[in-house]
Amino acid sequence: MKGWSLLVMGFALQIAFIVRWWKEVEVAPLGLRLLIALGVLLLGVGLARVAAQFAHARNPLLGFTPAALTLLALLVTAEALLRAYQVPPGLVPTPTRVVATLHGVRDVLLQDAYQTVLKEALVGYLIGCSLGVLTAFLVSRYLFLERGFLPYATLFSSIPIVALAPVLVKMVGIDWPSKAAICAITVYFPVVVNTFRGLTEVSPMSLDLMRSYAASEVQQYRWLRLPNALPFIFNALKLGTTLAMIGAIVGEFFGANGQGLGFRIQIEAGRFGFDIVWAAIIVASAVGIAWYGLVAWVERRLTGWHVSFRNG
Amino acid sequence: MVFPNGTVALKEANLEVAPGEFISLIGPSGCGKTTLLRLLADLIQPTSGQIRIGGKSPEEARKSRAYGYVFQAPTLMEWRTVLANVMLPLEIMGFPGPERRARAEKMLALVGLEKFARHYPWQLSGGMQQRVSIARALAFDPQLLFMDEPFGALDEITRENLNLELLRLWRETGKTIVFVTHSIPEAVFLSTRIVVMTPRPGKIETVIPVDLPQPRTFETRETTRFFELATAVREALRKGHGYEVAE
Amino acid sequence: MRISPNLLPMLVVALVVLALYWPIMYLVNIPVAQRALDTGAALPCQTAFECASQLRSPVLPSPQQLWGGFVSLMFPLDSPNAIPLNAAVTALETLVGLLLATLVGLFFAVGIVASRAFERALLPWIVASQTVPIIAIAPMLVVVLGQYGVQGWIPKAIIAAYIAFFPITIGIAKGLQSPDPLALDLMKTYNAGSWQTYLKLRFPASVPYLFTAFKVAMTAALIGAIVAEISTISFQGIGKMLAENSRASDVVAMWVIMLASAALGIFLVAMVGWLERLLTPWRRAQVAPRPKARVAGREVGA
Repeated sequence: MKGWSLLVMGFALQIAFIVRWWKEVEVAPLGLRLLIALGVLLLGVGLARVAAQFAHARNPLLGFTPAALTLLALLVTAEALLRAYQVPPGLVPTPTRVVATLHGVRDVLLQDAYQTVLKEALVGYLIGCSLGVLTAFLVSRYLFLERGFLPYATLFSSIPIVALAPVLVKMVGIDWPSKAAICAITVYFPVVVNTFRGLTEVSPMSLDLMRSYAASEVQQYRWLRLPNALPFIFNALKLGTTLAMIGAIVGEFFGANGQGLGFRIQIEAGRFGFDIVWAAIIVASAVGIAWYGLVAWVERRLTGWHVSFRNG
Repeated sequence: MVFPNGTVALKEANLEVAPGEFISLIGPSGCGKTTLLRLLADLIQPTSGQIRIGGKSPEEARKSRAYGYVFQAPTLMEWRTVLANVMLPLEIMGFPGPERRARAEKMLALVGLEKFARHYPWQLSGGMQQRVSIARALAFDPQLLFMDEPFGALDEITRENLNLELLRLWRETGKTIVFVTHSIPEAVFLSTRIVVMTPRPGKIETVIPVDLPQPRTFETRETTRFFELATAVREALRKGHGYEVAE
Repeated sequence: MRISPNLLPMLVVALVVLALYWPIMYLVNIPVAQRALDTGAALPCQTAFECASQLRSPVLPSPQQLWGGFVSLMFPLDSPNAIPLNAAVTALETLVGLLLATLVGLFFAVGIVASRAFERALLPWIVASQTVPIIAIAPMLVVVLGQYGVQGWIPKAIIAAYIAFFPITIGIAKGLQSPDPLALDLMKTYNAGSWQTYLKLRFPASVPYLFTAFKVAMTAALIGAIVAEISTISFQGIGKMLAENSRASDVVAMWVIMLASAALGIFLVAMVGWLERLLTPWRRAQVAPRPKARVAGREVGA
């Protein structure tokens, strides 16, 4: 348990300094700065030892402990260093300041998140995903579409959506539907490509089996191709959550009607309100992870049979 | 030999191998024959007991590069050509450039693949790939060759051809070979002695000397003696785990 | 040279899209043109139909307008306001960013593979970053970097690198861990040092993974570079052109720039594919057309 004691000492040192320097406005003297350096060293060595102890932890929660401690150590160290060197909050706000801001402007950020996530990203995501799955069914059924359409869908994934954003904002208007359209387009193509792969990369033997049952084409899709495609579809759906968030945020960089996380980030970055920017980023990240986790949870419920969930 | 989780993999395994012998370890899955080979090769360490290879511990033997190892799978590096694959151990062991090439070419000729030197592994059949991996194991001229079911994944016809080729290699090079298999005909055909192993916990049931005359040919498999020996091995295997039948 | 069986269907699809574009363009533009005529705006045309293809702010620009915009934005090739030079700058930022990300990613990936402790402490965050819109950090980062005197194309490259870092690190780490356990045993029987194992086994094995990661990271890095360009005062780059024309509401120019950036993205990713084929010759035919399982009944000739 030596790693733990090092870790506790490191945290104690940093926190003691932060408390001591809470109200000061000068750069900390060399002695105190050396203490911080010592704290960083203790944290580093302690983390390495503790992480090594958890290296073979089976329980996912236990396995996550070192990562959580690392984040905590980084935050405390950032706080201590920013305070010691009196870095102006207009450049890099301290973590505590960001948390305070997050609490302070929560109403605004919640409204922003409502606009960005529930209206723009979610609507676009749902439209893009359903159209994508539908298209993939058609493409898998008709060889002509596979040859004529699928290559374009693959190409589209390498297009930078930022370039799409200003055009769509001009075309559809500055309100949320334009961003929803951007999200729908960015989500659509990977869903088509992935679903198509899932529907067609069926083992030839399974197809033979279906044929031996004299299964109709609808039955073949129902009992073989769709189940086979589910893991692929969910991969695209998970990827889509991130793409939709990026699409909505980047879209807002090019025009929004005074609301939205991307809009907030853009505006506040321009006027050095970095604590608000960080708060907005935290909200966006939390939503991103939660949304991804939700889709992953549904995936687990529906495709628990798949190899990727078997362990050990 | 006890695994960390408490499973006893090998219990009684007393065996001595003389230079130039061809020893087969045979037994059903889970009898510890691969474990024994990996112990010899210092890929795992024994919990108790002693292994000496030419007077050295397995670790020393490995560090002095005393043996070549052929795995179940060819494990060729897909980004290297056939020739470069055979040169791999020579590069790692620091042989000078020209010698690497000469040796690798010689080894490829020995396994009859000199025409495929520039090919990539995926362009070769499974049997050819395994021949490359044998050439690779022989490239640095170790006195000892460990082979872990090298032909297990191949079809019967390819396997018989490769058995014959392996025997020729063994005669020409005079190596000592320790060969793991679960095929009775293969063990009888190849070996000078067969070590029959039984599972749970793995132990050596008996050692059967094979007195079939050298050089052996396709016809050897059709002799009465071959069948007698095969029967002897089969019976030793059955005796070792008679309860298995009742399962 | 064998012609791809995709070519003809792709052409047909492109033609159908174009053929549909024309009437749709008139459909959405005519009301706008009618309104403009009704308000008595000075237009060089009399009927709404005629005006629909000449609007200054069309909903959909007409092909003639796009062509005109294309010509005026492409030439002269070295003009600071033309696409070629700006696209080159953005491409340079993206590529430098990718290179930077690869170097840093390599370092982290080796750490993750070599040390379980390192992996436990960092990997969860690197993986989580994949589900987070990290692009959101770009506008702030570029301003902060500007405060520290990092200006010009460098901050854009840094942001591109920052965005590309996560997928590349995960890609390399996956690649370094991809060798078969038997291959690792083989290296052990050769008594190969860990450096030799990396050099002869792990690094070569990770090359295909690196390229797969590059394809994802390239587009992400390009987006990062462009967002960085629009988030601060820039004098060059696709992002600067987008921002300028967006402010000036030059719809036709925005369309042309959009198409040009699309082409740039496709070109950069295609370059990765080309480089991949060049550097991984052993996979050339391996990744040949996969056996396709088609819908039952078709090949039976029903």
